[in-house]
Amino acid sequence: MTRLALRRVFLALPTIVAAATLVFLLVHVVPGDPVDVMLGESAAPADREALRHALGLDRPLLTQYGAFLTGLATGDLGRSLVSGEPVARLVAERVPATLELTLGALVVAIVIALPLGVLAAARPGTWIDRAAVAFALLGAAMPSFWLGPLLIIGFAIELHVLPVSGRGGLAHLVLPACTLGLGMSAILTRMTRASVLECVGEDYVRTARAKGVGRVGVLARHALANALAPVVTILGLQFGALLAGTVITETIFAWPGVGRLTVEGIQARDYPVLQGCILVIAAGFVLASTLADVVNAALDPRTRPGAPEVR
Amino acid sequence: MTPASRRVGAAAALLLALVLAAVAAPWIAPEDPTRQDLAATLAPPSRGHLLGQDKLGRDILSRVLHGGRVSLIVGLATVASSLVVGGAVGAVAGYAGGWLDDLLMRVVDVLLAFPGLLLAIALTAVLGASVQNVVLALCLIGWTGYARLTRGEVHRLRSREFVEAARALGAPDRRILWRHVVPLLTAPLLVQATFGMAGAIVAEASLSFLGLGAQPPTASWGAMLNDGRAFLLVAPHLTIFPGLAITLAVLALNFLGDGLRDLLDVRPATDLWR
Amino acid sequence: MLCVLSCRGAAPPVPPGTLVVALESAPAILDPRYTTDANSSLVSALVTRGLTRVNERAEAGPDLAEAWQQPAPLEYRFTLRADATFADGTPLTATDVVATYRSVLDPALRSPKREALAAVADVVAADPRTVVVRLHATTAAFLETANLGILPAALAHHGPLPREEVVGAGPFRVVGTLPDGGVELAAAAASMDGTPALPRVRFRVIPDGTVRALELASGSVHLVQNALEPDLLPWLARRPDLELVISPGTTFQYLGMNFRDPRLADRRVRQALAYALDREAMVHRLLRDTARPATGLLPPSHWAYAGDVAAYPHDRTRATALLAESGLGPDARAAARRFSYKTSTVELRRRIAEVFQDELGMIGLSVDVRSYEWATFYADVRRGDFQLYALAWVGVADPDVYYRIFHSSMRPPQGNNRGAYANATMDALLEAARATLDREERRRLYAEVQRLAADDLPVIPLWWADNVVVKSRRLTGFVPAPDGDLRSLATARLEER
Repeated sequence: MTRLALRRVFLALPTIVAAATLVFLLVHVVPGDPVDVMLGESAAPADREALRHALGLDRPLLTQYGAFLTGLATGDLGRSLVSGEPVARLVAERVPATLELTLGALVVAIVIALPLGVLAAARPGTWIDRAAVAFALLGAAMPSFWLGPLLIIGFAIELHVLPVSGRGGLAHLVLPACTLGLGMSAILTRMTRASVLECVGEDYVRTARAKGVGRVGVLARHALANALAPVVTILGLQFGALLAGTVITETIFAWPGVGRLTVEGIQARDYPVLQGCILVIAAGFVLASTLADVVNAALDPRTRPGAPEVR
Repeated sequence: MTPASRRVGAAAALLLALVLAAVAAPWIAPEDPTRQDLAATLAPPSRGHLLGQDKLGRDILSRVLHGGRVSLIVGLATVASSLVVGGAVGAVAGYAGGWLDDLLMRVVDVLLAFPGLLLAIALTAVLGASVQNVVLALCLIGWTGYARLTRGEVHRLRSREFVEAARALGAPDRRILWRHVVPLLTAPLLVQATFGMAGAIVAEASLSFLGLGAQPPTASWGAMLNDGRAFLLVAPHLTIFPGLAITLAVLALNFLGDGLRDLLDVRPATDLWR
Repeated sequence: MLCVLSCRGAAPPVPPGTLVVALESAPAILDPRYTTDANSSLVSALVTRGLTRVNERAEAGPDLAEAWQQPAPLEYRFTLRADATFADGTPLTATDVVATYRSVLDPALRSPKREALAAVADVVAADPRTVVVRLHATTAAFLETANLGILPAALAHHGPLPREEVVGAGPFRVVGTLPDGGVELAAAAASMDGTPALPRVRFRVIPDGTVRALELASGSVHLVQNALEPDLLPWLARRPDLELVISPGTTFQYLGMNFRDPRLADRRVRQALAYALDREAMVHRLLRDTARPATGLLPPSHWAYAGDVAAYPHDRTRATALLAESGLGPDARAAARRFSYKTSTVELRRRIAEVFQDELGMIGLSVDVRSYEWATFYADVRRGDFQLYALAWVGVADPDVYYRIFHSSMRPPQGNNRGAYANATMDALLEAARATLDREERRRLYAEVQRLAADDLPVIPLWWADNVVVKSRRLTGFVPAPDGDLRSLATARLEER
């Protein structure tokens, strides 16, 4: 188990570097010039060139890439082209907000999805099943940029019970977490239901059932544990998707997170900030999916390395 | 008729209705979906315009019908291409194992770890915003999910008794993959694909939010939803109808996948509870 | 866990009496030597003061300088106010002015405002209250650019100051930044014109327009300026606690054309486009009367405005005839009647594009609308990679700006003549206007410029956007300025509920 975890973490490093390389290439391929954005239109061509030189943007791409990698290795993410502030600080300031939002959304999704999924699987084909799935689907059917304002109008304007936007106490978290989490609860409900049902067909569950173990007992003791594997995988994947998906929710709710910073980085062509953001998102994603793999291995002995290999 | 086939029938009928409405839009739409009437902007539903008129006075019913063409095609094309690419990569990785598995999964990880939205923005910035590029961007982001799922399932199935038995009997890898593994992949992939199509329809909307979806004056449900969003407070009919269309499509797709899964399930005794 | 996270990096609670203003993007820079975007300039202008201040007619009036003389054509002598002080109470002297100007002129500090002060040869302190500015060349626009915010000499030696470190002589001082990129100001106790009644002003960044409106409705934001969907204004105005204030503004919206395209180099085609666009209807229906159809770059409130210019009322017949004359009539190839139109992804901009598309379609032109993410769009416009595009000029003060946008030598990257417009008469007029200091002569020359621009259509004027403010009724004493300046917050107050 520890070996698997170590192996995955070791393998994760090149993934993160590769993602960083991809973003490096991407931002330099995309049209748009940070100097234009920074200097506005009134600057003289000579001043533009001087700034480009000072920022190192006139160096060959490979040299810039080398400098970027060196900085990465020494933990120096550079400085924002716009504000001149260190990228590490800018990103670090935003990480807790995104983490809070993502975890909040995850909690919302799990709280909705697990009971609904199991409920649906316990009575497959009945109206309970269909109602549970349909309910979960409504969240997925509503894009967050539409759902968010609807929730705000309902809870902040009409009912006056929650704040409209911004980050503050727990009250500020409720609406954005629901907006983000509802979208995810659908896939999670669906996955829980599907994999619980699938396990229901397995021999050991049938055996248990034949031995006279009750429906709920079977679900809880046998099916759920095995059904969790794909669910955990999806959770791990979804966590990454959530991190990236926060962009829209953060924009709607004026939530000062990494997603918002990424968009600002794109708009200003603030390369160092953009790279820093992607790095953090990539690292968060890799961490989550590694965690999912490890948990999966713990749940299913067959996927452990070292288990007898059939060749 | 089993309950599953009845469910498939109902969902398929709904989906078919949506598809037919979209296909027939040029003939059944009461108006040209791009015809503007600035004197009647944001007009509520009326006899002449059953679903009302949008911010430029265009007939919403006609736009919902025409918008379905774009949204459904985006969904279908995205899922088809993602499924082919992701399924192939995942199956190979899961079955081959070893370094190939590691390599392919690292590629998947890199793309998965990469915020899809940024990829989409970059792509549309380079290639320009259009429906084709939306599909390209969504596929570029979407195939990795299928790859991981397929790989996981194949990996799991590979060590199953029947695969081991086939291998012990000397069956070639390709045959094992096609005969024993792929059929069992259909159900989970179908579940994923129905969601994927629904998700792609919603994702097209999200790209519209960033102004990167269908370009004016083309209507798509997502673009309509986004364009109408600013008027939520004063003219909710702008978003209700495209929103309803998306919801219906998503529900139909999911119930269809759900029912199909039960119907196609080769393994017996799914109805253990009975 | 969630609680622990919540307590870190969240915005501090709003202290009572704080005015909350919502902006669509962050005022990322407050150092007046480096501000380029509108929101940064607005907030920076609350924290700092310049020698002069541009009034609503776009003329320079006194600010830190109570008076000035021009003893020679190339020399200005400014007399500072005796009570000039920074927000921390230290006196503001000629030394600070000199240090600030010199730092902008220093190429090593790379201020984007260096080009605007290119005419300045040197700035010296004659005595603590007298600043002497010597110019290389006559420039009539110098006084308008002398509104550059002054920093303490000790701070002016460095490059861009972090927002928290900016100290100026403005009515407010920076207390801190917010995690969302916003900034919080407090009344400067040592303010020269008395301490403002508003103890604190918080600028929140709320990127989404609908949410800005909802925040206003919920009462947690008190002021939004020029950042609301026109169609939401009636809804907001109906709320008893909110007030809508619309006043003429100076932002000039125009349709840009590329003269490198031979079709658009034909004046008849440009005029056809101008006749085809129903600006009255667009202003009324789309913008809900929050703009006025424009005759040119300078708004009627501007001292150099000339209104007796060619106008292009909506006239489809005439537009069609002009097109036919220029060979783009119905018999022309489809490709010749097709234009691409670039716009940013802002919803209202896209909506305007759709109306253009429709209206140009009526005269037989087909328009491909392409919306691009802002930086890409802007890069394309600067590169001259477009046929048609729409954009706005914001904060036009001195008419010398005409030189930068219409003179044939001013193609990017030199200037802002993006469409590569070239007209010898226009060039001569602009050079003459730039060389004279006589106000009446300038007015006469710029009137010529405006008439020529209206005839020749280097750009098609669309409208001047109004200054649209929605504010809480609790906020009193705030007077919106045509250019969006927020300085009157210094004399405003927020009544108790």
